[in-house]
Amino acid sequence: MSNVTEVLVALADPTRRDLLERLSLRGEATATALAGDLPISRQAVVQHLTVLDKVGLVRGRRHGREHRFIVRTEPLGETVKWMESLSQQWDRRLRLIQQIAEASTGREDNPKQVLSQKAESNE
Amino acid sequence: MNTDRIEREVVIDAPIARVWSALTEPKSVSAWFSNGADVSIDLRVGGVMSFDQGDHGAFQTVIVSVTPPHVFSFRWASAYPGVLATEENSTLVEFSLKETPRGTVLRVVESGFDALEIPADRVQHAGFENHSKGWNSVVAAIDAYVMANLETSIIDSP
Repeated sequence: MSNVTEVLVALADPTRRDLLERLSLRGEATATALAGDLPISRQAVVQHLTVLDKVGLVRGRRHGREHRFIVRTEPLGETVKWMESLSQQWDRRLRLIQQIAEASTGREDNPKQVLSQKAESNE
Repeated sequence: MNTDRIEREVVIDAPIARVWSALTEPKSVSAWFSNGADVSIDLRVGGVMSFDQGDHGAFQTVIVSVTPPHVFSFRWASAYPGVLATEENSTLVEFSLKETPRGTVLRVVESGFDALEIPADRVQHAGFENHSKGWNSVVAAIDAYVMANLETSIIDSP
């Protein structure tokens, strides 16, 4: 799987999303502290953190005897870019509709043909 | 930032009736929506608009409203090829057309990302590109975090 895919799979679970949100609000926290914020056991928190850690959404580090976690935003950058690409897909489709409508004004054309010509000249 | 929807619009230098045809006629839909795959459209409320994109799967969108030449909307289960779109598995794509002095304004809103759940096994089954739409439920959540929380609260580790 691509990195983006892994991140999305990791975030597909609502509990993990809640966990990330709590962690981001705290800035830095142990699994025990997070379990206090959420209606799940410490053990479940650790399991979720492990999934998030694998895709780079959290990072753990030692503070004396404590193992604390922080949120990492780097993996999200790629995903947000990808959200933007979805918008661009719609822009592209609207442009195609525009080309078809403007090209067909006053006559009945084969839209596909018109389109491929237009697409070539634009791209 | 609204994470549930994508909104886009374009101004088209053609009469609204032309834009409507470009938007809804099968030949045109094939060009702008299905990458050239043949499209069949039962252009009425509850009708099915379907196209087969080969490796990407066959999609069966369900038409929600048809008000020529002003509104055309359908549900699109882009993460579920081969499955009829329902409220649970799809987003709502709404086109609206408006005549203005500048031309016909064509607006599209795709919404319902927040409520959309894509099971992890589906994600793993499928290629990334043809499932991209469906993952917006997750992307929406990510966006919300990025915009609302993470930027202000992240701590850089040394």
